Amino acid sequence: MKNRKHSLTKHTKEIAIRNLFGFFAFLSVLLFGLILVFLFREGLPLFKQISVTDFLFGTAWYPTYEPPEYGIWPLIVGSLAVTFFACLIAVPLGILSAVYIAEIAPGGIKEILKSVIELLAGLPSVVLGFFGMVIVGPWLQETFDLPTGLNIMNAAVMLAIMAIPTISSISEDALYAVPREFKEASYALGATKYETIIRVIIPAALSGISTAVILGMARAIGETMVVLMVAGGAAAIPESIFDAVRPMTASIAAEMGEAPFRSGHYHALFATGIVLFVITLAFNLIADYISNRFRETGSGTL
Amino acid sequence: MEKDFIVRTKNVDFFYGAFRALSDVTVDFEKNKVTALIGPSGCGKSTLLRLLNRMNDLIDGTRVEGEILLEGRNIYAPDVDPVEIRQRIGMVFQKPNPFPKSIYNNITYAPKLSGIVDSEEIEALVEESLRQAVLWDEVKDILTKSAMTLSGGQQQRLCIARALAMKPDVILMDEPSSALDPISTAKIEELIDTLKKHYTIIIVTHNMQQAARISEYTGFFYLGKLIEFNATEKIFTNPDVKQTEDYITGRFG
Ligand SMILES: Nc1ncnc2c1ncn2[C@@H]1O[C@H](COP(=O)(O)OP(=O)(O)OP(=O)(O)O)[C@@H](O)[C@H]1O
Ligand SMILES: [Mg+2]
Repeated sequence: MKNRKHSLTKHTKEIAIRNLFGFFAFLSVLLFGLILVFLFREGLPLFKQISVTDFLFGTAWYPTYEPPEYGIWPLIVGSLAVTFFACLIAVPLGILSAVYIAEIAPGGIKEILKSVIELLAGLPSVVLGFFGMVIVGPWLQETFDLPTGLNIMNAAVMLAIMAIPTISSISEDALYAVPREFKEASYALGATKYETIIRVIIPAALSGISTAVILGMARAIGETMVVLMVAGGAAAIPESIFDAVRPMTASIAAEMGEAPFRSGHYHALFATGIVLFVITLAFNLIADYISNRFRETGSGTL
Repeated sequence: MEKDFIVRTKNVDFFYGAFRALSDVTVDFEKNKVTALIGPSGCGKSTLLRLLNRMNDLIDGTRVEGEILLEGRNIYAPDVDPVEIRQRIGMVFQKPNPFPKSIYNNITYAPKLSGIVDSEEIEALVEESLRQAVLWDEVKDILTKSAMTLSGGQQQRLCIARALAMKPDVILMDEPSSALDPISTAKIEELIDTLKKHYTIIIVTHNMQQAARISEYTGFFYLGKLIEFNATEKIFTNPDVKQTEDYITGRFG
């Protein structure tokens, strides 16, 4: 009888622990849901005033004029432009550094590089923005004789610095996960180290590397402080990489403080937030899809 | 007739760091014959095999002493490129390890590396290698499918075909059928029997019957030493050394 009682309390304890974990897991889902509801509740009322097409593809963003104009196309282009050029820099550098760290670097250098990249990841974005404003901006302005050094180029470089650690560390894990047997098979077939890296190791790690790239992009497009500080802030469609832009995140951060509560401007900024959310969600879904798809076939046809 | 030895080792010692895995191994492998290496686990069979195509170079802190000759040339001489040695001495591993690529691209891997670009030549080579490995009929309609979709036995024959496509002189096999079912094992053994017309085969196996069935020569290793090397028939009926007899009759240790 006594024994049974003991096992009963043990059982209730397990149930309690399970429920506790379940509660915390559910809490994060709940919080996410609440934020989402809030985002949509504050953003959607805008579309009583203007149509979705006018909002997304309108080329004039004059939210404080009378009558106001809420076309965020220049902001979308701004976000995409800085992200695109940031990736142009960060993707090759991130992947190459991952390959170097995982496959080529000798022990000592490998450890140093890894910690430097980790430090880079830990750099507060406001510090990086400051660096862009004070050092890179004036340098760009002087070297290329520009009206302003705060532009797409500057933002792309800063965002690239932020995306490199993400891309590098996830790619590195993917490279480590390539089975040793593939490498041995390649060497035994008379391949050199570099042929093995290019023809076997990188293709076998491609799903992880693609995930890394997309998460790096998501990181860049959602970044706020850096672009607020160094992208220049002009809500116009850029014509060159030396033009200033106003990415969506920068616009929200800069204007939210001054937009009257539940005004058209206020709703427009939330609606911009929805667009941003949809874009990052898409990136994450694509990353998920790619890594699952490759996992099933073992990147069979590459 | 003078015997033609394609690979010979002379007084070979091998070290993993301070650990001596092989001591004073001298053995000659005859051309176009099957030689089996047997012995208890950890006695250095795989180590010797991997020495012959310089795969041990990939492990840090290893050291070789003595000479290993491929057609009279020391493959550990400073001016020898290990890549060239590996192209002449193919290897099949214990666990089938096809690349996660299509069947076709698995076979073309080595030929493309060695610079063959003519697509007709490559296609012919793919068919020839797969036929030699007795896999052609099973895969000829699915060449573009991932090699990972094949069964374990098919994968191992694909790995053999992949090595054959390199046109090696010698093929090293490290327990090639230990991960396979009896039917696949029988297929691999048949395959070895046909391959020895054109290739020298050196095979490590834990399966005594297999060694007896497929090989002309057998070497018995124990604790890093070559205890006995003889014609397979002699090893299995009337070995010179007592230890050999104990091992093959299962009375060992
Ligand atoms: N990479 C390595 N580093 C250090 N020691 C090793 C390494 N590989 C093998 N050894 C050691 O060398 C000895 C011989 O190993 P080897 O793999 O050649 O044995 P084996 O005869 O092939 O055994 P098995 O039949 O189990 O495959 C063993 O004692 C093993 O522990
Ligand atoms: Mg072994």
